[in-house]
Amino acid sequence: MSESELEPTIEETPPPKADSPRQRFWKRMVRNPLALFSMVWFVILIVSWVWPELLATHDPFKQDVTLQRLFEGPSGDHWLGTDGLGRDHYSRVVFGAGFAFRSIFIAMTIAIGIGVPIGLFSGWRGGRIDRAIMWVNDVLFSLPIILLAMAVIIILTPSLTNAMIGVGIAMATRFVRLTRGVTLAEKEELYVDAARITGISVPRILARYIAPNLLPSLIVQAAIISGAIILIGATLSFLGIGASLDDPDWGVMLNRARPDFRREGIWQIMPSGGALVLTVLAFNLLGDAIRDAIGRDASSNALTITKRVSVAAASTSHAEGDDLVISVRDMDVEFPSAKGPVSEILNGVSFEVRAGETLGVVGESGSGKSMTMLSALGLTPAPGRMTRGSVNFLGEDVTNLTEKAWQSIRGKEVGVIFQEPIAVLNPAMKVGAQIMEPLRIHMGMSKAEARTRAVELLTEVRVPDPARRLDQYPHEFSGGMAQRVGIAMALACEPKLLIADEPSTALDVTVQGQILDLLAEIQTRRNMAIILITHDLGVIAEAADRVLVMYGGQVMETGSVEDVFFRPKHPYTKALLDTMPQNHSGDGELAVIAGIVPQPTAWPTGCRFAPRCVHATDSCTSTMPPLLTVNTDVVRCLRHGEEGFDLAQPASGTEVLS
Amino acid sequence: MTDTPTTNTPMLRSQDIDGALLEVDDLHVHFASRGKLFGTTPPPVKAVNGVSFSIAPEKTFGLVGESGSGKSTVARAILQLVDIQSGTIRLAGDDVTKVPPRDELDFRKNVQAVLQDPFSSLNQVHQTRTIVGDGITRHYGTKAGAARDERVGLLLDAVGLSCEFLDRYPYEMSGGQRQRISIARALAVEPRLIIADEATSALDVSIQSQVINVLRRIQDDSGVSFLFIAHDLEVVKHVSHDLGVMYLGYLVEKGDANAIYDAPTHPYTEMLIASIPMPDPVVQAARRELRQTFEDDAEPPSPANLPPGCPFENRCPVAMDICREVMPEPTPAHHGGDVRCHLHTSGPELAGESVVEFIKTKAQSKLSGSQRSNDKSSAQ
Ligand SMILES: Nc1ncnc2c1ncn2[C@@H]1O[C@H](COP(=O)(O)OP(=O)(O)OP(=O)(O)O)[C@@H](O)[C@H]1O
Ligand code: SF4
Ligand code: SF4
Ligand SMILES: [Mg+2]
Repeated sequence: MSESELEPTIEETPPPKADSPRQRFWKRMVRNPLALFSMVWFVILIVSWVWPELLATHDPFKQDVTLQRLFEGPSGDHWLGTDGLGRDHYSRVVFGAGFAFRSIFIAMTIAIGIGVPIGLFSGWRGGRIDRAIMWVNDVLFSLPIILLAMAVIIILTPSLTNAMIGVGIAMATRFVRLTRGVTLAEKEELYVDAARITGISVPRILARYIAPNLLPSLIVQAAIISGAIILIGATLSFLGIGASLDDPDWGVMLNRARPDFRREGIWQIMPSGGALVLTVLAFNLLGDAIRDAIGRDASSNALTITKRVSVAAASTSHAEGDDLVISVRDMDVEFPSAKGPVSEILNGVSFEVRAGETLGVVGESGSGKSMTMLSALGLTPAPGRMTRGSVNFLGEDVTNLTEKAWQSIRGKEVGVIFQEPIAVLNPAMKVGAQIMEPLRIHMGMSKAEARTRAVELLTEVRVPDPARRLDQYPHEFSGGMAQRVGIAMALACEPKLLIADEPSTALDVTVQGQILDLLAEIQTRRNMAIILITHDLGVIAEAADRVLVMYGGQVMETGSVEDVFFRPKHPYTKALLDTMPQNHSGDGELAVIAGIVPQPTAWPTGCRFAPRCVHATDSCTSTMPPLLTVNTDVVRCLRHGEEGFDLAQPASGTEVLS
Repeated sequence: MTDTPTTNTPMLRSQDIDGALLEVDDLHVHFASRGKLFGTTPPPVKAVNGVSFSIAPEKTFGLVGESGSGKSTVARAILQLVDIQSGTIRLAGDDVTKVPPRDELDFRKNVQAVLQDPFSSLNQVHQTRTIVGDGITRHYGTKAGAARDERVGLLLDAVGLSCEFLDRYPYEMSGGQRQRISIARALAVEPRLIIADEATSALDVSIQSQVINVLRRIQDDSGVSFLFIAHDLEVVKHVSHDLGVMYLGYLVEKGDANAIYDAPTHPYTEMLIASIPMPDPVVQAARRELRQTFEDDAEPPSPANLPPGCPFENRCPVAMDICREVMPEPTPAHHGGDVRCHLHTSGPELAGESVVEFIKTKAQSKLSGSQRSNDKSSAQ
């Protein structure tokens, strides 16, 4: 195949590189004071290990048995005093770091060297071999570590090295468990299938594909186990079966201080004991810090809601009418970012929904559909916040409502259904109990009343055999049935507004139809307002009365469903319609919207759609189009109303692109 | 892509294949249910039941069906990722049902895949140059370095991405970009067949169209065949020459893609078509009515416990008595393929013709019938 033929019309270049996870990791590590402390401590220890002479002030073995030199307290000469043989405590502690690290090194090499390959093998093979290996491993795991170390010492000769071999074997069982768990999970990942399809051999897949994914948890585990190894080494030395009794090992030092400490005071155990405690602590802190620094931001997952601040009022007034359920005017939502300026996720968003009406919200992913609905209901995820605009809900201004006041409104008047019905249900709880809970909390029903109502609700969403289904767990429901349960839960408190965020996207088309029919039927019966968020124009065509088209955090146009499909006002709407394969006739290439949705941190200047718009002119890339009102609808396009401008004729403005 | 070293491919005896590139014959795949240590083992999940189809060189075979219908399992069986119960798979005439380890590399060079999830099908720890380049090293021995990067750059070009993507990690790319990286990875070894399992399902329509155009352009240029699997019949029809419709592990209908779409011979295919929402409020209102002839809240039976007759029977608006007892065998259909439905041999004996009109008439008479019974009950 020749390259020139393959060249597509527009080639994508990536956005500027963000922080790599490695950079992010180090930034977080340095910002965490405990991590900083442990890292500084390790730098000192490592220097003591590789170049003890640099830090030590005395020869650690040099005895000074002149009487006044024994059991000295700290002084200018002996910073940490001397021991019973007049040796310098400080220098012995410095040299002791080497013993500690040697112990860790021996035990870790064995633990990781044995544990990781066995874990990889066992997890990859699975089945009976895996079970057998894990059985043996669990037996070894349950034995006390010291016992294994002693066993090795008995078989070989007592020495710290041999003891550490035993410790290493015992610790290997921890790594077998960890590695096997990760391997079992990663094995199921598609990228492993992809590697096998490429023809990559199994050992290579394990080494190059699975092992790197294992690394973070391995490092965390290793840090914590290192702390344990030092303690065990010290214990063995203290018992006299580790390092030799003259060595400046921390455990030995403790041992030697033991008979003296009652006579000479607590000071004798402080230098070695302190070093030991600090080091073990530092290892544990380091492990925790690494885990935290690797982990995702908690805030990006959990729905923590920003504390309300007073919001600048909107410049335009709300729509009027008794049937108005929600009206949003000129809403801006901003997210502060760690570096650089705040990013504006939503800009000047306005819409309203009336009772009995379905507003379809459409746009590519990343266009701000879900954020609009969350923010309108006071649910802007932290650290974002609404900075401008106003919201009216059922005739009341709710813009500056407290979270508490919002909660009681949302619980009763707003129902929400989500894309992944199964994800919303608690897998450990019977479905019935989950439907009944809000009924009892918000409606104050008794258990029996709530159960009767739950059966009614499931009947309303046409779940067959509802009484029996109440006592089942979520995994016994198919996707479609689970979504019906989701709808039943959203309807439980008779909401005036139902927000459905991609309610049928995760379902099969045949089931999707059933869900849409169900929503329509319930809406007619209850005269409820529905906001239906979807990226599928076909779903909009079926279910919506009015349509809100969003792009780049802005409203691009609103209109009745007929207007939007038959007389689109905005080039983006037209482009979306053209990309539907259903609207494509003939065998040629499908229409596309070139390029990608911009990131909120890098909105284009001027019209946000300009880089992808076939009608863009020079002024489009410099001037932000205002939201124009056309009859009762709006459109945000500079060329709207321009004489001779016709969306069906894309040729008129293409010079900018080519 | 003429500058790459060509290795001899013993598995493909000639570059010009007379018959089909891929032939799947009577494929069965069962999954043993997770047995407990003691007690009776539950029956196996019958994920694929007697599936047969073939893909011609330079053609695309589309496979549609609801989730759980066994589409992915067919793909995974061809890719040697699951053990099969029985059946044969041939690639250019050679038996590849179970490829022995010594031939595996050769097989992998000819059959590649683009998998569903653009997030998990790329290894997060590798850059694009490694993700795409690994296969080149594996199959052509080109070591990582400038020469391999140049080749990866050409592949990126082919999927509409600039060379700046070479040092990107998957988390630095959008879904559509990742999916194109997956395609570049599959193309890297110059396969004869690419299996695309829900390769565009996770993407926005606008981006999905970009990816589909890339796939078609690649087929025009390199003559690769595709097995294109998706749940969206509209998309599958658009990219496929031939089409297969799966339901609960059975291939219930297969034949020319456009002919099936215009005049389906199986009630389930008709149900799928009627369920596709059309981006036009007037057309969609009509479709919705058609769809509602099927509407019942019956759930498909469990693949671990299939009924003896037609598996679609409890959802089929035109089911007959025989459907409950006897599994229909494939019979020839007007679109050049075959169909598994009793309507063609019993009852109306449609003999391979479209089922659309028959369902419409049946539904109308059923509707008036139910109205009558409603009248009766209200009269009481
Ligand atoms: N490894 C497995 N063990 C047991 N059952 C399995 C396994 N893989 C698939 N199945 C079952 O086999 C059947 C077919 O599954 P498959 O994944 O092929 O469906 P699909 O049509 O690709 O669905 P989707 O559109 O959701 O991807 C389902 O009942 C599924 O639960
Ligand atoms: S303002 Fe210009 S770039 Fe934006 S949509 Fe209108 S024509 Fe296109
Ligand atoms: S065999 Fe019977 S039940 Fe099955 S699809 Fe045909 S008519 Fe319907
Ligand atoms: Mg699948």
